[in-house]
Amino acid sequence: MARYPKKINPGVILGLPYLAHLMLFFVYPLVFSFILVFHRWDIVTPMEFVGMRNIGRIFADEVFLQSIINTGVFLMLHIPLQIVVALFFAVLLNEEIRARGFFRTLYFLPVVVSGVVVTILFQQLFSYDNGLLNQFLAALGLPYVPWLVSSKWAMPSIALMATWKNVGLYIILFMAGLQSIPSQLYEAARLDGTSTWQRFYHITLPMLNPTMVTVVVLSVIGGFSLFIEPYVMTGGGPMNSTPRSSPMGRSATSTCCPSTGRCRTT
Amino acid sequence: MGKTGYRNPVYCMAFLLLALAGCGDPSNPAGDSGNGVTTLTYWSAPNPQEYAMAQDLVAEWNRDNPHIQVKLQALPAGQSSEEVLLSAMVAGTTPDVCSNIWPGVTNDFIRAKGLYALDRFGDFEQVMTERVPEDIIESVRSADGHIYQIPWKTNPIMVQYNVTMFEDAGIYEFPRTYSAFLEAAAKITRDNDGDGRMDQWMGFRDIRPIWWQRYYDYYTSYITASGGKTFFDKGELAIDRKASDQVFSFYQSLYDNGYFPRSSLQGNAFLYDVIATEFTGPWNIAYLENNAPASLRYDFAPVPVPDDYEGDIYSYGDHKNIVIFSTTKHPEESWEFVKYLTTREADYKLLNFARQIPVRKNLLEDPEFEAFFRDNPMLARFAEQAAYTRGVDSIRDLKEILDAVARYYEKSSVYGAIPPGQATEEMIEAIRVIREWNH
Repeated sequence: MARYPKKINPGVILGLPYLAHLMLFFVYPLVFSFILVFHRWDIVTPMEFVGMRNIGRIFADEVFLQSIINTGVFLMLHIPLQIVVALFFAVLLNEEIRARGFFRTLYFLPVVVSGVVVTILFQQLFSYDNGLLNQFLAALGLPYVPWLVSSKWAMPSIALMATWKNVGLYIILFMAGLQSIPSQLYEAARLDGTSTWQRFYHITLPMLNPTMVTVVVLSVIGGFSLFIEPYVMTGGGPMNSTPRSSPMGRSATSTCCPSTGRCRTT
Repeated sequence: MGKTGYRNPVYCMAFLLLALAGCGDPSNPAGDSGNGVTTLTYWSAPNPQEYAMAQDLVAEWNRDNPHIQVKLQALPAGQSSEEVLLSAMVAGTTPDVCSNIWPGVTNDFIRAKGLYALDRFGDFEQVMTERVPEDIIESVRSADGHIYQIPWKTNPIMVQYNVTMFEDAGIYEFPRTYSAFLEAAAKITRDNDGDGRMDQWMGFRDIRPIWWQRYYDYYTSYITASGGKTFFDKGELAIDRKASDQVFSFYQSLYDNGYFPRSSLQGNAFLYDVIATEFTGPWNIAYLENNAPASLRYDFAPVPVPDDYEGDIYSYGDHKNIVIFSTTKHPEESWEFVKYLTTREADYKLLNFARQIPVRKNLLEDPEFEAFFRDNPMLARFAEQAAYTRGVDSIRDLKEILDAVARYYEKSSVYGAIPPGQATEEMIEAIRVIREWNH
């Protein structure tokens, strides 16, 4: 066995690759991004110090300001919808129903489907003139809905798509939470003559609180970083009403950021 | 090293670093091989037709020039050619010559001192004036007075239309003006299956506010309506307000009346008689030849003009130019190769192999090309239009400016939320703010 000099702790050496990785891929980009906030730089020409100009510029950008509102609206629609749908299916799939494994897999499938595939699918479903949903509504004698071509409908449509895509993950989380609730609590409640709703409201919901927090945190993160699907579906339209213009999306569209400094500021 | 030496983390790390260092390519991409042969690197566009043409040209050059050998490479894959070239510039790995340069990005390259000024070559002026029309030469002159690029090819935007659908509507000549186009649209847009909803439209454009989509509607029509003007004149914002209003208004009429649908259409709607027109370039000819059903009769016509417009009909031309990068160690040899790429013979190959239009004077009258255009009448339409094309302004912030255009186009033309005049004024103000903040 090779011997190390006594003063060097092998742990330090073994930790070095991780430290190098951390410095190179996390600390350095973070510090460099912060420096770029105060510079104009297009990668090929020398950096130019611009002070607070990048910060002033993003607040003069009406699309950026709209993007903050859009993100708030999207989260307000998306999070409650996601929680209600996920909880409903988690409770259902937690029961002893036939083909439970099949349904669990089925609901989880959209999570692993590529975002672009989901986008194309929903673009065709939501198409105004020849989309499947509007054909269905027409067959029922109902008027067409301008799913993606109205600033009122576009955001709920995208929230619907995002919920369909991600709900499987939250079903799994809720199911894990449900299975950790001690069955004695339900038995005791049953002996006390409680109804199903009372057991759900007074036992299940409070006991799922930690899971609920996780789901909300993950939904908020997902909502903030949602970009590809709405960008491909609506490009941020109609009239800046969808989350292409979320702060993350705005910085990701290089078209709007000729100055990498402004991207970093965003 | 002892038996367990390879387990020592220090050795492992050193080995890893050496292995990583070994991954680099130490070869000189362009240089002398030591036997008097100069090797140049040439990047062409990666599309199969153009690459095949480049292979043919390079093989011929290498055969005829044993002392200047050219190594051909298709532009490496990336999100866009501009992004790849920018990365290469930062890394210092640009080729000697590249023939896929979008004029909108050359200004950035020039500021980065990445391009070689071609007008430093003694015979530059002669080569340029023999081939390229005077106004196009001026359009590529940089702000510092030098010329860094040779206008090589252009893809003029025209209207592709379904002849049968027009004839069925009683229209035997493609409409020249906005009014005539709207009149034709009213006849062609219809409900064929009687369910009370339209299922056949005059045309379709992607309405998403994506900057480059506006090249094929607003920007093309703006160039047409303004008689060949772009947004800037000698670096100063000079948008023709009247032309812009007319364009916003024209598209607003198309969407308001339902002649263009606001929704997306599945598949290629033009192939199956769902839409009667499409704004497109010559690249679509090969696509139609290979994919259109035998029953589809199509033709190409110039973009419609405002009713009161008189004069030549201009259009947007997606230019691609040739440059020599300043990293070259052999500018003279590179220039010789560039001259070869722009000869009449090479231009013929560009037409024949790649079906793209060279930026060459009197293309249609040139006996070298006459037989070709007789056999390819569709391409002849584009060649005719090529003499009346304008590209993009070679300025900074172009993408951001077009992003603003896309927003006002959507607001006014697609959804009719603001009148055309207001859209033009607000768009100009937005562009002014972009310029002011970015400079």
